[in-house]
Amino acid sequence: MATSTYLSSPVVTVNAVDLSDQCTGATVNINYDQLEATAFGDSSRKYVSGLGSHSVTLDFYASFAATETWATLKSLVGTSTTVIVKPTSGADSATNPGLTFTGTFLAALPIVTALGALGTISITFNGGVFTSDES
Amino acid sequence: MSYLIASDKLGKIGDLYVPKAGINVAALLAGGFITELAEVSTTEEEKPAKTKPKKAPKE
Repeated sequence: MATSTYLSSPVVTVNAVDLSDQCTGATVNINYDQLEATAFGDSSRKYVSGLGSHSVTLDFYASFAATETWATLKSLVGTSTTVIVKPTSGADSATNPGLTFTGTFLAALPIVTALGALGTISITFNGGVFTSDES
Repeated sequence: MSYLIASDKLGKIGDLYVPKAGINVAALLAGGFITELAEVSTTEEEKPAKTKPKKAPKE
């Protein structure tokens, strides 16, 4: 049975900036509205796909150093951009797809700090067009 | 407008950066990831006319 184990090689880019070395988690949700299409004569419910409603949640360390997480994200709040999540750093392929969200919106930039712990930023991009780049 | 890469998180520093569709260029500039490349004019400056100024008439 083939499985994917995510150890250290996944790649996360936000607005074309590679933030993999600050990222600790990524949750990709590929969703489409489920529209009922059942009609008289049907014996079971039927559905068709509606609008895409995707989201990507990314967990980062809160680094305020030059060209790190804060510098990347501070100007993206309230705007749309492109986010790509890949299983490994290799070239795009059917077994290493670049999960790409174009025009996805960042509404909030919450920063979590605690005494004696590394600061973290957990953000969610919503909407946009999803494509799976495999070549 | 042309841009140069200023951070290795974006690519090789010093290379020309061509933003793909959907990339927020203003955010990259604000974060210091790219810099604007000064445009170099390819048109020659207009040369002054070679006509000599007329001498003042003798009195």
